[in-house]
Amino acid sequence: MTQPGPSPLVTSPKTTAEPLVAVEGLTKYFPITKGIVLQKEVARVHAVEDVTFTVSPGETLGLVGESGCGKSTTARLLLKLLEPTRGRIFFEGEDITNLNRSRMRPLRREMQMIFQDPYASLNPRQTVGQIVGAPFRIHKTEGETKKKVQELMNRVGLNPEHYNRYSHEFSGGQRQRIGVARALALRPKLIVCDEPVSALDVSIQAQILNLLEDLQDEFKLTYVFISHDLGVVRHIADRIAVMYLGRIVEVAQADELYEDPKHPYTSALLSAVPKGHGDAALTQRIVLEGDVPSPIDPPPGCPFHPRCPKARAVGGPVDGLPENCTAEMPPLGEVERNHRAACWYPLKHGESLQKAAHA
Amino acid sequence: MSAETLLEVRDLHVSFPTPDGVVKAVDGLSFSVHRRETFGIVGESGSGKSVTNLTALGLIDRERAQVSGEVLFKGRDLLALSKEELRRVRGKELAMIFQDPFACLHPFYRVGDQIVEAILCHDDIPKKQAQQRAVDLLGAVGIPHPQDRFRDHPHQYSGGMRQRAMIAMALSHNPDLLIADEPTTALDVTVQAQILDLIDRIKNEFNIGVILITHDLGVVADVAQTVMVMYAGRAVELGSRDEVFDNPQHPYAWGLLESIPRIDQKGSRLIPIQGSPPSLIHVPPGCSFHPRCPHRFEPCDKDVPALADRGSGHPDACHLSVEDKRRIWNEREALRKKAVS
Repeated sequence: MTQPGPSPLVTSPKTTAEPLVAVEGLTKYFPITKGIVLQKEVARVHAVEDVTFTVSPGETLGLVGESGCGKSTTARLLLKLLEPTRGRIFFEGEDITNLNRSRMRPLRREMQMIFQDPYASLNPRQTVGQIVGAPFRIHKTEGETKKKVQELMNRVGLNPEHYNRYSHEFSGGQRQRIGVARALALRPKLIVCDEPVSALDVSIQAQILNLLEDLQDEFKLTYVFISHDLGVVRHIADRIAVMYLGRIVEVAQADELYEDPKHPYTSALLSAVPKGHGDAALTQRIVLEGDVPSPIDPPPGCPFHPRCPKARAVGGPVDGLPENCTAEMPPLGEVERNHRAACWYPLKHGESLQKAAHA
Repeated sequence: MSAETLLEVRDLHVSFPTPDGVVKAVDGLSFSVHRRETFGIVGESGSGKSVTNLTALGLIDRERAQVSGEVLFKGRDLLALSKEELRRVRGKELAMIFQDPFACLHPFYRVGDQIVEAILCHDDIPKKQAQQRAVDLLGAVGIPHPQDRFRDHPHQYSGGMRQRAMIAMALSHNPDLLIADEPTTALDVTVQAQILDLIDRIKNEFNIGVILITHDLGVVADVAQTVMVMYAGRAVELGSRDEVFDNPQHPYAWGLLESIPRIDQKGSRLIPIQGSPPSLIHVPPGCSFHPRCPHRFEPCDKDVPALADRGSGHPDACHLSVEDKRRIWNEREALRKKAVS
């Protein structure tokens, strides 16, 4: 393989080691076709647009955003469950973008996924033993599968004696533990968690989050953790990428992103979360107007400009908005050290969007 | 609170006989809701929060369920009304919005026509007038260009707009009480913020009471004045928002507050509640929370603790004395602070 390694864009400052996963300019369009025989493409859903990031070994990268922002599509592209329209994917320095199914297969042991819905992601006609044992059978590993499965079940907090039970005999939290055990079976390096706790009650959610953290320490796992719940992501992620309409609009260390957001969208998103009691009365919510635009026909320039309070505060010739916001997509540039935001007018330290909106 | 009492639930029991046994969905629940109050009901799935309100609205099949107790709405017992009488109250004085705005609007009919239908259901007015009122309502809930959007089908609306349309429909007869069952759970956070603001605004504008059912403590803390925490069909704590969040009394409420990852705090280890919620067919004897409670002692697995003020200023259902609770809560708080720093 003579491919050049991924450029060190958006690397984690924590390690200088080679990233485990890197994507460069990743883009995915889904065609919308008309006609039955001659399927003419009439439009495209811009699901993921020019996404670049890296994940270092042992790190947890959080991907947050609202529904339809492309976070799950990014995850699927990463695992090659979907073919990208453009862009490249590197795993341990190797370009895996164009590998075919059979050449992907050995790599699949290294990258696994935990799904959102523990009711839909487990086959109701298989026992736990069959579900968790499936990776061993598929990859034809040595040794006794049953023993390995029971060890795994024990590790994720399930009773190994329940080996022969079906998934409907378990509660939601226990089912998610089954999903975790299955992902863990082949000792992967990377686990992509797609909303793993969204379907669970809060008291159970904490159990699963703790389990995921313990497993990460024990098995030196790398996580790409997708969630729409900003509290959950702050809790588990080292670094966070915020997505809006298929693009990454901000990347930073978790604490920095939450304490000093640079992109107006991040700031609005954080303020929209009910804070619970205490400072709730003090921190005013920034209520964004309107809805997320359709990804079929994303707005030109910065995709956030039609709803952006900062752009409105800055003002300009195009409907009261600055020209560059409406004309040109801002690059994901470094605003501060290891803190990137795709915005022409990033927020200054301590600048409140509320003030900006009213200025 | 001196405001008019709109809804008073007294000792409500709802259970469903099934082949596996009797499911005790609601077990002796009492509370009251006043005008201009947002009454938040929090609990996990299966805690009985939705069944309580479906029963109040007469939406539970009374032939399949065993219901006892009283649900007094402006002095009248809703449980004693005939179907016909109930129909005159429901949708008119008592309105409801549901969790999933995708499932609540008929996909074949225009949104405006569905609101007109709701209006004509209770008011005998010319259709033209009803249409005008529907347009006004859509405008009142913040739908831009209501005149045009009136003629759209539901699929042309976004999730947030559908929920707004549902709220418009609920408001069409100036109800006294609005029951919102997880109104923002299916929505994104930025849209959730819009809808919560809207509910708060209409509560004041239309001078109504709101029951907000949710599993999200953050939502309740943001918008509710009174909070009731439910567990396995019973209320375990009831008080004003400040009382419940500043001075929580029940170990289950502590567990809930501690197990939520917060966005304004650095990630420390979460303290989950052990175990999982009980089956409502085999509710544990005594306090139904005792198998998961780290502070259980002698009477917990025998006596059901009543919901009563044990000296803290607001009622809770836990056998521990108020002094013990204060001590334990302070210890837990200290532990948590240590974990953060």
